[in-house]
Amino acid sequence: MSGVGLRRLLETAVTQGVTEARARIFGHVLNPTGQRSPHKLLRKKLIGEKVSQWYPHDITKDDPLIMAAREQERLSKLEMLKRRGKGPPKKGQGKGAAKRNKGK
Amino acid sequence: MWQDEPKCIKDHNRRLLAEKFELKRNLYKAFIRDPELPSELREKLTAKLSKLPRNSSFTRIRNRCVFSGRPRGVYEFFRMSRIVFRTLANQGMLNGVKKASW
Repeated sequence: MSGVGLRRLLETAVTQGVTEARARIFGHVLNPTGQRSPHKLLRKKLIGEKVSQWYPHDITKDDPLIMAAREQERLSKLEMLKRRGKGPPKKGQGKGAAKRNKGK
Repeated sequence: MWQDEPKCIKDHNRRLLAEKFELKRNLYKAFIRDPELPSELREKLTAKLSKLPRNSSFTRIRNRCVFSGRPRGVYEFFRMSRIVFRTLANQGMLNGVKKASW
């Protein structure tokens, strides 16, 4: 019976020694108690670069002629709507703003 | 493409901010979780973390469709919504994509 206990003691001593030695050699960070460790967050790779490059750069933005043409189209469209009386309402007159003011 | 959509522009701004503050944010968060540091330091760091701009958090970013700005039904591999994907794939504009049948 004590022989089995001794064997188990030796086993644990050997395996623990092995893990500690491995950590020392390769620079691993051990956490035998399993407490919260900052190492878990710090070893993650950084993703900021990939995240910021989701939307591709629109080359038409570099061309001032095209941008000017687009702006002209937008303004003429607005003008057409205003002529028909369908442009944006004055400040405080729109549906949401009117509701808000009335409720007050 | 997407240049006129205000939501896409906001999302793009959030992405840039997140990239800018990512390192700091990770650092603060990691230090807060360390149980061996003194508790005043941890409280100070939590205050600092909360002072970072909200739009620099990764959780505030949404993968929108690059063509239509649709926030849902977007495949990350193609960066497009399912509708745009279908139109382009049927026109043959996506390299190597064809209708599956097996």
